[in-house]
Amino acid sequence: MSVKAWPADDRDDRSLLERVRRGDAGGAEELFERYAPALLRFAVRMLSDRESAEEVTQEVFVKVISRAHQYDGRAAVSSWLFAIAANACRDRRRRDRRAAVVPLDSVGDLPARGEGIESRLAGRERRAAVRKALEGLSEEQREALVLARYHELPYAEIARVLGISVGAVKTRIFRAIENLKARFSEGETSWNAAN
Amino acid sequence: MECRELTEYALGRLLGETASSEREELNVHLGGCAPCRAELAALEETWETLGADLDAPVTPEFRSRTVELLQDEIARRRIRSFRPRPHARRVLAQAAAIFVAGAVGYVAARGGIGGRTKSANASASTANAAPSWPDLSKNPRLTNVSYRTDPDGRVSIEFDSTSRRSITGPPDDPRVSSLLAYLLSRNETAGEKSRAIELVSQNFGLGASVASPEIVHALATTLKRDRNPGVRKKAAEALASFRSTPEIRAGLLDALENDPNPGVRLVAVDALAAAAKEAPDPKTIQSLREKAFDPSENGFVRARAASALKAINL
Repeated sequence: MSVKAWPADDRDDRSLLERVRRGDAGGAEELFERYAPALLRFAVRMLSDRESAEEVTQEVFVKVISRAHQYDGRAAVSSWLFAIAANACRDRRRRDRRAAVVPLDSVGDLPARGEGIESRLAGRERRAAVRKALEGLSEEQREALVLARYHELPYAEIARVLGISVGAVKTRIFRAIENLKARFSEGETSWNAAN
Repeated sequence: MECRELTEYALGRLLGETASSEREELNVHLGGCAPCRAELAALEETWETLGADLDAPVTPEFRSRTVELLQDEIARRRIRSFRPRPHARRVLAQAAAIFVAGAVGYVAARGGIGGRTKSANASASTANAAPSWPDLSKNPRLTNVSYRTDPDGRVSIEFDSTSRRSITGPPDDPRVSSLLAYLLSRNETAGEKSRAIELVSQNFGLGASVASPEIVHALATTLKRDRNPGVRKKAAEALASFRSTPEIRAGLLDALENDPNPGVRLVAVDALAAAAKEAPDPKTIQSLREKAFDPSENGFVRARAASALKAINL
């Protein structure tokens, strides 16, 4: 499931941001309507917790209000918003890690059944397995993969959002996908062995 | 193209980032390389499988809560931006000084010493005028509230009732406490509530003045009843910063048991654990133990409750 986060026209976004900067609550509301779905999806995948993701999404929009004057127009507004969201998610994860060390489970126990991962994992079980596999990725790999896979951002935009080079983006996505492939096939093997 | 480049080419193709020449190269290579065909199928299957993770929707409740928060934030910034800038303040002060000097000169020229005394008395009475405290028993509607802690530690609260009013006093003045407690319980928006709670935390947290029972009660009620989890969390943090009392402990225990937000429950765990370290309380320890072993509890809350129990060193 992926819905493109990319706006058709960045000029609209810039004028919305200008309205926010001038203190127009309607501008903030429109910006929220336009980007909250994408930012919330991103945060949910980064934090694996709906409530924390909602809090972070709120935090992003509050920061937009306080930092609207800092937007320098070099990147698309959407990239700027994702960059704020990525930082907020990192901060949240750091804070939560400090608060409690809860190791993310490995995905060796993928609930795999039947022939081939496509046909084996159905409905909720399948979604849970994918979510768990994503949780098993490093933060850096997950950020890059989520932006590419679920938000369909091109390499160059992901690089801008994460503040890294295009080469680094490719490497992170490459490693993430290799990692997931291994995890999925590991789940398949363990099921076969058990049967 | 070589076999080791397959993933890069394949990902480029999946993301629509390959040039036509690269796609051609990939097709040619796949035509003659069975292992790469199998590898490509596995990669595409992995990519496809990731699509099973459904998108989280924005719920109407989250939308309305956030829009309200954003409106509050914008309103708060508007109020801030109306404050005169230092330059404007300087100009105003200069103008006032010129006016006062003119007035004093005029009075001195007309009435001499006696006139000056009269003027001095007048300004003294203005300076000593008692602030006009609102009659809270009449349940007044106080809006557009702003708060400030002056460098001398006094608290200033400005609000609109029938007109714009400003109240200033030390935080331990019972009238200030009553007004703050009233505002905590009556504020209408999340932003106003949050600002009131911040002021209360600043002025009555540990090391500062002791919060009145009225303020504690208002915060405990906010923690229990407010719809906004951000406000409830702030209320919990404020209570956590106060010296523990039975009412504070009861409020935090209730939040730990019943608050739907894990962030609020985490604050409650920390505060209860800190209080229990000072003075172990059987009910607190029992609640923390239940949380630590509750499989339906959020992992972070569970882990934090477990570490808190360890730290209490029973």
